[in-house]
Amino acid sequence: MRIIIAIAFMVVAGSTNLLNAADNITVVVGQGAPDIEHLAAQELVSQFRKLFDANVVLSDFLPPPRENVILIGSPKTNRTLREVIGDDWPKVSDQGLVIRSFKNDKHSGLVVGGGSPAATLWSVYELGHHFGIRYVLREDLYPDKQPLDIDALDIVQEPGLKTRTWRTVNDFPIGPESWGLDQHKVVLRQLAKLKFNSVMLSVYPWQPFIDYEFAGVKKQTAMLWFGERYPINSDSPGRTGLGGVKEFTNPTFAGKQTYEEMTQAGTKLLRGIIKESKRLGMSVGVSITPLEFPTEFAKAFPGLEPARGLKNLTVAPGAKLPPDSAKLKQLVAARIRAYVETYPGIDTLYVTLPEFPEWEQHVDSSWKELASRIGNDAPTVAELIKTARSRSTVASGDRGESAIKGNIVSLAFMQRLFADSELLTRSDGKRVELVITAVDDALYPYLDRVVPQGSSTLNFIDYTARRVVENREKLGTIPTERVRSRLIMTLADDNVGVLSQAATRGLGELMSDLHKHGWDGFSTRYWMLAELDPTVYYLSRAAWDPKVTPRSAHDDLFTTITHKQSASDRLWIGFGHIEAATELTDKENLGFAFPVPNMLMKYYAPGPIPEWWEKQNEHYTEAMIELYRSRDGARPYAQGFLFYYAKRSEYVLDYLTTVKALREAANAKAKGDKEEAVAQLETALEAIYNAIDTLGDVVQDQSDRGLIAVLNAYGYRPILAEYEKLVDE
Amino acid sequence: MTRASWIFVTLSLCHLSTLVFAEEWAQFRGPNAAGVSKASKNLPVEFSHEKNVAWSVELGEGIACPIVTQGRTIATSMIDKQTLAVFCFDAANGKELWRQEFNTGATPPITPPNTQASSTPCSDGERVYVYFSTIGMVALDLKGGEVIWKQKVPLPFYLMGWGAAHSPILYKDLVLLNQDDDLAPFLIAFDKLTGKVRWKTERPEMLGGYAVPVICKAAGREDIVVAGTGKLKGYDPSNGEELWTCNTLLRTVMTTPAVKDDKIYISIQSYGDTDRVLKYALLQWKDTNQDGKLGKDEFDKAFWAKFDKGDANKDGFLVDDEVDAAFQASTNMVGGGTTIQAVRGGGTGDVTKTHLVWNLENTSPSNIASPLVSDGRVLVVKKGGISASFDAETGETIWEKKRLRNFGNYYASPVAGDGKIYVQGENGFITVIRQGPKLEILAKNDMGDSCTATPAIADNRIYVRTLQKLYCFAEGAE
Repeated sequence: MRIIIAIAFMVVAGSTNLLNAADNITVVVGQGAPDIEHLAAQELVSQFRKLFDANVVLSDFLPPPRENVILIGSPKTNRTLREVIGDDWPKVSDQGLVIRSFKNDKHSGLVVGGGSPAATLWSVYELGHHFGIRYVLREDLYPDKQPLDIDALDIVQEPGLKTRTWRTVNDFPIGPESWGLDQHKVVLRQLAKLKFNSVMLSVYPWQPFIDYEFAGVKKQTAMLWFGERYPINSDSPGRTGLGGVKEFTNPTFAGKQTYEEMTQAGTKLLRGIIKESKRLGMSVGVSITPLEFPTEFAKAFPGLEPARGLKNLTVAPGAKLPPDSAKLKQLVAARIRAYVETYPGIDTLYVTLPEFPEWEQHVDSSWKELASRIGNDAPTVAELIKTARSRSTVASGDRGESAIKGNIVSLAFMQRLFADSELLTRSDGKRVELVITAVDDALYPYLDRVVPQGSSTLNFIDYTARRVVENREKLGTIPTERVRSRLIMTLADDNVGVLSQAATRGLGELMSDLHKHGWDGFSTRYWMLAELDPTVYYLSRAAWDPKVTPRSAHDDLFTTITHKQSASDRLWIGFGHIEAATELTDKENLGFAFPVPNMLMKYYAPGPIPEWWEKQNEHYTEAMIELYRSRDGARPYAQGFLFYYAKRSEYVLDYLTTVKALREAANAKAKGDKEEAVAQLETALEAIYNAIDTLGDVVQDQSDRGLIAVLNAYGYRPILAEYEKLVDE
Repeated sequence: MTRASWIFVTLSLCHLSTLVFAEEWAQFRGPNAAGVSKASKNLPVEFSHEKNVAWSVELGEGIACPIVTQGRTIATSMIDKQTLAVFCFDAANGKELWRQEFNTGATPPITPPNTQASSTPCSDGERVYVYFSTIGMVALDLKGGEVIWKQKVPLPFYLMGWGAAHSPILYKDLVLLNQDDDLAPFLIAFDKLTGKVRWKTERPEMLGGYAVPVICKAAGREDIVVAGTGKLKGYDPSNGEELWTCNTLLRTVMTTPAVKDDKIYISIQSYGDTDRVLKYALLQWKDTNQDGKLGKDEFDKAFWAKFDKGDANKDGFLVDDEVDAAFQASTNMVGGGTTIQAVRGGGTGDVTKTHLVWNLENTSPSNIASPLVSDGRVLVVKKGGISASFDAETGETIWEKKRLRNFGNYYASPVAGDGKIYVQGENGFITVIRQGPKLEILAKNDMGDSCTATPAIADNRIYVRTLQKLYCFAEGAE
């Protein structure tokens, strides 16, 4: 390691000659310090060189007297730091940050460390933040060069929310399911800077990330995007944003055909994400739905029945397969072991209870088991059903009854399953944390007793932030002092779909509740990065400081980037309109732009033009105006960053024009007015073309490319086909 | 093949080789920026990035048009963030003959689809003249690319951050550059041999715009004609003095007129209604805090002197008419709209009432693609691939709102040759239509990348500059 440091020293020292050096700074990392602290030191050197006209070098020993020095790590990992700071090291948890100026008779400088190596890395990023760097999901935005001033710094921080989880992989071409390892790495590195400390790999039974077999049945399904393909041809609008490819693919899987090739590539991808996350000091978990299987398993298990879901790709236990089936337990256990062994570095297994449970027939016996754990205050099944039916979340009425019943049976099954302590033991002997996901909210008051002992929970109340806010009283019903509980925070919902979305203000209300009720943290839910930056930035700041509000975080981000409060004001209004449009869409038609094959052609059906469409259009129009206005007012450095938002709001307006024109075309066709129908279809065709073309102008990442592919497949091509058909009739 | 036929072919090729590289397309949109090739024959109808490619080269990002002179093709690109490269290729085979690189320094802000390498060079067959905002005007030797002279040109500033995209032209021994920006617009003439400024004419009534100067022969004179805010103006090439003005244009002029005989044709789309003068645009977009007045901090420092001039009550803000007083000339308070018009050249003084031949308030014009005048008709194309054609003599509509079956933006201007018209969409498709009174689409050709630069035609070949590459297409090239 000493050799590596010496080489780094030479490289950095050599290149600093290029600078007009005013100050010399030596960054001292402990001898034998953990790799993350070396990373922290390198990051600090890199940032300081961009921030200041200063000579910054990396070393593992103190420089000559009177030179500035920055000590990286903690008294445990850096002897020099221990000697310099003595008793001045504050008491911090393993997540605590320490940034403290010091001065003695030989040196002056800074201590940048933390209660753990990961916290030390965060302290480096917090210092960067202090000097005006703003970290967003795809890049770092730097301030203009400034004089170096490291005197009188004293920052000691502890997070209010201990677990800050980023969900990834997921589904749909617009989501991280499309990302190759390179993009995952970019985002993970930014997340570390935003002090996220946990990554959840959310995978589905049909995807190519695991191989297992049981009782002679081998998994054979390995597909992305529900098996959909997205060819790109020369007529595809937005194609220039896709780099001339013939088919949109996740680069990891390009050219992979067979189950074996797909699975090998998928495994390599997840291992790469895990490795990078660990390098950055994050814990990693895999989220699975253990009671859903690819359809090939139905042959060996007659009790498995088709489960509801897009394209019916899975089977799940039905009424004929009792929850105490030993064979079923063995099958699920085999699958879980496959994950633990395929990904030996994982720290957490998230076990998601089915979203649409089909297993409700066994509810009474299952509840009997669970109720015995609760004790005297256990409600009856009837009472739980009544609660579930009458609530205002998406799972209410019949769906609510079905959900609570299925949830109870699934939980009883999990109790039995995880009684085997070996199931979650890694090859290195460590135990994987169990997190039960999506326990029905009717069970929240008893949460610590219905989940397997020692497990944590990840809780889903409803799809969107607005819906959760409307049911925020549920956040106070969980005994958080007895069970570590995290909340799924929807930053942008797949049902609201491919429109620009914002949820920061709604999430602000939820964040204050999480702090208030002692929650452990949150996990994000999103598909595209798109407009997420202000929201993720808010979460990253508010998780540490409950006093941070959506507005204060917004201003902190955008005023710093644009150098103008007025530009930040415009963005606040612009994103406010996007959030209002998001909420309106959610309220009026949750699946308005859900990215599935009929997403646009469903509007090519006669019917009224809903009044709320006009309001939705107004919100996005106002957003576009404000976003362009903010761009114009920002310093040139920030204009490119803001241009992306402005163009995306333009895209949305074309998308809405498409929707309306399709409805008008269908109405004209129904009236026998072919000329008008053709004219409206032409309008729709041009509008979707322009929508996609606009996206192509500002492609930033693989989700943006995925959206272009989706809109070609489900928008442009079917509209063109219908247009040509009608013209020819 | 018989010996006789070999001889015939050889002779034919020799003959071709002497003819092939005789046509000049040596500035933006060719001779007099008209976009018309008179000499080229047998131009390809069907071609693409995979078909009828005589040659192609990777250039890097840029949207300046290629030019062709003396059998050489010149193109520019930004090869990195602060390096402009000027390339010279053998027009016959695409072999790179030379390249000259310039450090641009930090480049000023621009708004897409503009890019930094957006100004089209021009050439007199011996020298190549290149303009770049931070460098100025440079003359290079066509043979070897050596710098002959370099002249600083004031850096342009745009209220809306559009960025520079002015292209020089040559007229006799002058290099002419019209730089209509929002700060200090002017028309300037350099001595083409020495770079010395022969004259410079301020155009204080103008706002930011991008019209390239054209030459109009009329009434026994050759005038430099420049379109700009509200006014089409004629200038004396010998001294830059204004000869005439026709006050019929709109606020923002990004298109270049086309000259046919003694008439100048122009098509404009300028955002907003006719009463939307600059202040409304500025109060909409520059008033970042939306307090209904413009503060100094809402402008680049370069504009502060203008700001002070407009701030009549010296309260530190521009309100209402103060905005116009600062930036838009009181004698030229024009707004937005659309127009297509023909103006007869050769006038003197205010010719608004005497030389306007016809004027259509027609919604067909593009804000960026210039009109094409050929075969007695004016063709305009705008976003969506919507075309219109008008009789050049009378302005009567020949067709209107007809689609070229290629959607998207249209930034390049149409060009014509060999009885065909080439209309290039930003999406990378070039639609070929037959020159004639009816819209007849002959082909839709895929360039494989986005295209903003107007193609060049010379010596029976078409040169297309996509965002990243330069193609030369010729019939039967494979």
